[in-house]
Amino acid sequence: MSTTVTRVRIAGAVVAAAAGLAGLAACSSPAPSGGASAPSCEPAKGTVTLQYWNTVPGMDQVVALWNKKNPNIQVQTKNISNDQYGTIGNALKAGKAPELAQVGYDELPYLRTQDAFVDASACSAAPAAKSKFVPWTWSQTSFGGTGVFAFPQDTGPMALFVRSDIFKEHGLEIPKTWDEYATDAQKLHDADPNLSITFFDPNNAEWFNGLLWQNSATMYAYAGDKWHVTVESDHSKQVAGYWQKLIDAKLVRTDLANGSTPMYAAYQKNQIATYVGAAWGYSMFRDNLPDQAGKWTIVPMPTWGSSAASGDWGGSTVAFMKGNTHLYESVAFNSWLNTDPEALALENKLGGLYPAALAGSALPALSQGVPYYNNEKIFDVFAESSKNIDTSFTWGPTQKTVNLALQDAMAKAAAGGGTLTDALSSAQATALKSMADQAIPAVAGD
Amino acid sequence: MSTQTAIRESRVSRTAAMALMLVLAVYFLLPIYFLLVAATKPQGDLASTFGLAFSHFDLAKNLGTLFGRSDGVFGRWALNSVIYAVLGAAVGTLISALCGYALATFTFRGREFLFNVILGGVLVPTTALALPLFLLFSATGIVNTYLAVFLPSIVSPFGVYLARIFTVAAVPREIVESARLDGAGEFRTFFSVAFKLLTPSLVTIFLFQFVGIWNNFFLPMVMLQKESLFPITLGLYEWNGQTARVSLLQESVITGALVSIVPVIIVFVLLQRFWRTGLASGALK
Repeated sequence: MSTTVTRVRIAGAVVAAAAGLAGLAACSSPAPSGGASAPSCEPAKGTVTLQYWNTVPGMDQVVALWNKKNPNIQVQTKNISNDQYGTIGNALKAGKAPELAQVGYDELPYLRTQDAFVDASACSAAPAAKSKFVPWTWSQTSFGGTGVFAFPQDTGPMALFVRSDIFKEHGLEIPKTWDEYATDAQKLHDADPNLSITFFDPNNAEWFNGLLWQNSATMYAYAGDKWHVTVESDHSKQVAGYWQKLIDAKLVRTDLANGSTPMYAAYQKNQIATYVGAAWGYSMFRDNLPDQAGKWTIVPMPTWGSSAASGDWGGSTVAFMKGNTHLYESVAFNSWLNTDPEALALENKLGGLYPAALAGSALPALSQGVPYYNNEKIFDVFAESSKNIDTSFTWGPTQKTVNLALQDAMAKAAAGGGTLTDALSSAQATALKSMADQAIPAVAGD
Repeated sequence: MSTQTAIRESRVSRTAAMALMLVLAVYFLLPIYFLLVAATKPQGDLASTFGLAFSHFDLAKNLGTLFGRSDGVFGRWALNSVIYAVLGAAVGTLISALCGYALATFTFRGREFLFNVILGGVLVPTTALALPLFLLFSATGIVNTYLAVFLPSIVSPFGVYLARIFTVAAVPREIVESARLDGAGEFRTFFSVAFKLLTPSLVTIFLFQFVGIWNNFFLPMVMLQKESLFPITLGLYEWNGQTARVSLLQESVITGALVSIVPVIIVFVLLQRFWRTGLASGALK
């Protein structure tokens, strides 16, 4: 009898408590931000505190250096490496975005359609910074226009990592074109069935995009108030067809994921002779395969024609986020962060960043020979690669969706259930559909 | 005579039980063994050598790297974990003991109701409370401070439950009555008389709390943004998210994971004796 009464009472108390919590939650949830005024570049009076979210190891130490030198512009960092875009997206929805946030080049157009950025060009120092960066990076952060929505931070110019000892052992020259690369792939495989020239990671659309970029396979263009989607083009089909042939002939492995333990194990066992990688990859081999010191060399990517061309894989920008009311201070900090030699050197040392600033190539750490690579000046190769990157390449506003579609189809192709050319068609269809779903005007073709 | 045969087990079943326990022991200890081995390897050996065999013995160097990284931030995280876990468990145990003792010794209106509500609290997973707590704390402005992790850590409905059961079992009413007759106040009675009788049981509560707070991950993740306030769990998680950029961090994550289980093992070994008696005295009733 008494237990029944107690139970009812408990239930009542729980409901009341829950209601109380809900009420509190409602009170504390952020109010929608008021109408945004036009961005201005007035310096604030007194001390300003900026929030800067990023995923770079050791960034707090770089910022500490700035804070020591600039008592009036204090920056607080937050590391969001475990859910970068989720964290940024939630903050935007809640109207609590930081002043500055790290955004990858391929995420910029999408976040722009979400109205995530402010144009910092009201501050004259922002457009003036253009000359300090590698040209293709600036065209990404300005969307090819006059606005400045972010400063480039780091890049991943691509190059070919080569086990020169394996090539020497088989009497092969290091390939300069993709045709020579395919021929060598066959020769290496014929000489040793366990040896592949490289691996094709079917779950890495970002890497594949870099390959497309190298062949000027522009995936998107914005003109006449609408997007022109050319994920499936003659240029991209050439790249897809090439790798499909290597996969069909079993000349490349398709069972390894980039940076995974099995990948390092395969390299350790001398089963793979090259790595199509980016600048930030140099430390991966140095740190995970110390036994192979002196066996690696880095050369420009094989080319499609006779002229040098390269692609980019990875890299990020530091964007001016919506609601930023301290543009003057943000531009000052952002500019120091990404162009000052002292800051760049520290970011390279602690976070492994390969800077987007032109000053980066003059850094001592990036102009000396690297012991692991036979004291070769490998960064000269990456600097040259960066200069050869097509500046007109544009990411689409639904890039993430397209990448997922591409990966799905690439995985099928790697498993023998389709081709990489099919993957391009399905990515093209997905791009158009997802843009239509979001009412973004888009057409297929140029 | 007949009882002897009834109790004696057959050799077969005893061997089977031993074998099963051996298998389970291996199963439970294997990951720890892997961690121990991996923590002694340089980064270059992690992918290229067999996971369960030692290669270069670099434990000292790994520890040096771990504690030297980012101006010794790992030491700071370790200290934070100790502060959260030791202080949180100590204060939490005291509060639980006071509550449980009060519920066991005093008869008052609504006692059972109150106890049942507290018991209900045991059913609510702490993970489910993290977000409501975050909203509460951000309204009061203590998000991103020590208090944000400390305050929720000192609350333990299960501790209150255990303390009540233990008090009923270990503190005879007569002793409490006689202490009162001798003129001791209620707090005096608790601290001078009941507390000593309860000590083994309180160690159990302390251990539960300590391990719970030490391993807590979600609450600090929700509450904290400043690296200098992180406990070890959150710090290692952050490093692990950055290994794509700096592969050498992987080694420090592994060594850090090994370091992070050492205090728990020490606390268990030191308090084991108390713990056993505590569990047993509770189990009797």
